Amino acid sequence: MTNSNDDAPGSGPGQVLRWQLQALRRDIQPAHDLWPDIANRIADMPRQAASTPRRVRSLVPWALAASVLLAVGFVWQLMPASGPQTVEGNPLIRQQAVSMTLEYEGALARMEQAGTHPEMKPALGDLDRSAAQILTAIDHDPEARFLLDQLRRTYARRLQLTQRAAMT
Amino acid sequence: MLTAAMSEPMTDTTTAEVAAETDAAWARSAAAGDSVAFASLYRRHAGRVHGVIVRLVGGHGVRAEDLTQEAFVRAWQALPKFRFESAFSTWLHRLAVTTALMELRSRRSGPRFDDEDALDDFGVADSAGNGTALSMDLERAVSTLPPRARAVLVLHDVEGWKHEEIANELGMAIGSSKAQLHRARQLLRRRLGGEA
Repeated sequence: MTNSNDDAPGSGPGQVLRWQLQALRRDIQPAHDLWPDIANRIADMPRQAASTPRRVRSLVPWALAASVLLAVGFVWQLMPASGPQTVEGNPLIRQQAVSMTLEYEGALARMEQAGTHPEMKPALGDLDRSAAQILTAIDHDPEARFLLDQLRRTYARRLQLTQRAAMT
Repeated sequence: MLTAAMSEPMTDTTTAEVAAETDAAWARSAAAGDSVAFASLYRRHAGRVHGVIVRLVGGHGVRAEDLTQEAFVRAWQALPKFRFESAFSTWLHRLAVTTALMELRSRRSGPRFDDEDALDDFGVADSAGNGTALSMDLERAVSTLPPRARAVLVLHDVEGWKHEEIANELGMAIGSSKAQLHRARQLLRRRLGGEA
């Protein structure tokens, strides 16, 4: 709150009113999902031009990286905090590890078309090996949620590095 | 970074930073034409945008939903020019406020926005301060304020804006903003029957 003193409704009842008003600041979800209509409206809508063509070009790797990170993050958020687990292990973790890998590989392939730097290859190779080891570990221990997290972090580092190579 | 924060215990600050970075990443993708990223922004911010619009126009319903939709469409159009000098959520919130206020100004043929004297007694409690006003909750009482007074009250007391910002957004002098706030609070107290 940035109110200056002269704007304050005062002490006592005025102060109570101010607190009550502050409490009104809350999210209110629309009664209907507005996205389908928004999607229809923006589908063929002309956009304001971006500032410069160079800037647009430089955003492409960002966008690709972001889309993967967000996809990964989204999948992660969908996971229950302590998901239903069976005696045979948690198939959700394995499925999500596979989805994560596919997303990652697809984006990586697109990003690497922009070019890579040979000096980064050892580091990239290390990360790829780490990812492979984690996937193997998930196969052995499908209950291990922390492995999925480790995989996600490894992919994120790999994407960051590839993105840096593509942008320099 | 989104990834780091997902795996470790997060403080409120970290959570906010992660949310801001995720927003920025989505916004950059959306600015480049990625409607899926924009859908993610919509999912995350629809409640906040709709909330401030509901408070500004004084009610839920189709009108507020239309404005929320309009705010997101405008955001999609304007995103390519967003310079990321502020947080995306701040930018979007301001855009939602602007969208709602523009609509309020355009409705001068209905309840008047500038000349509101005739509306000052609308929804006021009976002379004894009793009756329906006593059971009127604060949110409803705010919604019955005249549009300009309500806008100033909501922006200042609920959303935490400064008078300078409000005056600029509403095209009025800073003194007018302060006067409207004073008036809005007085009306509110009357409508609440002097309870608050």
